[in-house]
Amino acid sequence: MMDCAHYRRSMLADPHDPDPLLREHRATCHDCNLYGERLLRFESRLERALRVALPPDAVRPAAKVVPLRSPASRRRWLAMAASVLMALAVAGGVWLSAPGPSLAADVVSHMREEPQAWRRTDVPVPNSMLEDVLRDSHLRLATGAGAGIVSYANSCGFRGHQVPHLVIQTDSGPVTVMVLVHERSPKPVQFDEQGYRGVIVPVAGHGSLAVLTRGPATDIKTIEEIARRVLDSIVWTG
Amino acid sequence: MKDQIGGNQKRARFQALCQSLRPDLLRFAFWLSRDRALAEDVVQETMLRAWKAQDSLLDETAAKPWFLTIIRREYARSFERKRFVTVDVDELVAREEPMLAAAEEQNLAEMRAALFKLPDEYREPLVLQVLMGYSTAEIARELDLSSAAVLTRLFRARKQLRALCGEDTSMDPQE
Repeated sequence: MMDCAHYRRSMLADPHDPDPLLREHRATCHDCNLYGERLLRFESRLERALRVALPPDAVRPAAKVVPLRSPASRRRWLAMAASVLMALAVAGGVWLSAPGPSLAADVVSHMREEPQAWRRTDVPVPNSMLEDVLRDSHLRLATGAGAGIVSYANSCGFRGHQVPHLVIQTDSGPVTVMVLVHERSPKPVQFDEQGYRGVIVPVAGHGSLAVLTRGPATDIKTIEEIARRVLDSIVWTG
Repeated sequence: MKDQIGGNQKRARFQALCQSLRPDLLRFAFWLSRDRALAEDVVQETMLRAWKAQDSLLDETAAKPWFLTIIRREYARSFERKRFVTVDVDELVAREEPMLAAAEEQNLAEMRAALFKLPDEYREPLVLQVLMGYSTAEIARELDLSSAAVLTRLFRARKQLRALCGEDTSMDPQE
């Protein structure tokens, strides 16, 4: 039987530790349950603190931030930078010619900002935190419904709006959901980009919903089924 | 001609990979060095080394740990070159104030200043776990430590950080 000191030490080392013994202890100890909730709030703040905003010139192609070095080094950088710019131009052309992929591209790009969200865990975010994240988008999740435990909830800046970014632990592993009430999608879009596979589905009167997984393990049919279950569990409040 | 097209495609793919990972790499280098200018230099050198060694990256899904390992080596090299002797944390915080304070909430700025004060051996595994999403085993592999040692460092990191941030630590366990 785990004691309180062991539980708290483990939580301080990894607040998302999926060890079932931790879950059992949390369920039977009021103080440790409270302690766990406080720690998860602290963890959420820590995650945001670590994601420092980068100056715009720091995330542009290398050519923009190359310091003056030796001529040989400069030549290498310029050659590399020219290739980068050319590649981006070509990629941009291909991207624009495909039907409606830019929203998917932005969603995938956002995923790279929060890699820590993809942990496998069975520790749910505190209800109060989840409600805070969902409130501004005028929705909540129905109790007892849905696709699994919500292990991560954050309000993220996306295309000029704050949007809910959730991670749900499903039988197929962690799945990310972004509720995009400001983004209309005329029809369902499937995408498989940069190691992320997912769907964007239109939601009548409420923009769209992006659901995606990381890696090739989950097929698109399964992701569509998860998206359907998530949609079924959403209760719109405004 | 066919080889040239294949080479161009490979190069474009690698460049896109570098570009997409660059924000994460910059943040990691920043928290490693606590110095924005040095972080940018380290990431640039890392990109150059990665570019030269791209053939050794056999699995694209392993790109991030591959880059992070190069960053850590490159940071160690810069450390050797510049012969840093002492670090005045208050001076570091003051120098990076614009980046640390560029937060939507005051308590994030306080948390960032507290992170600067954490010893390197605690801050680095914490950043790998929280920012980069590494598991304990992956951190242990990257830092060449046992899993138990990693967990101890993470425990101490959060415990110190909570105290530095003025959190209620009355329920925190003793070691």
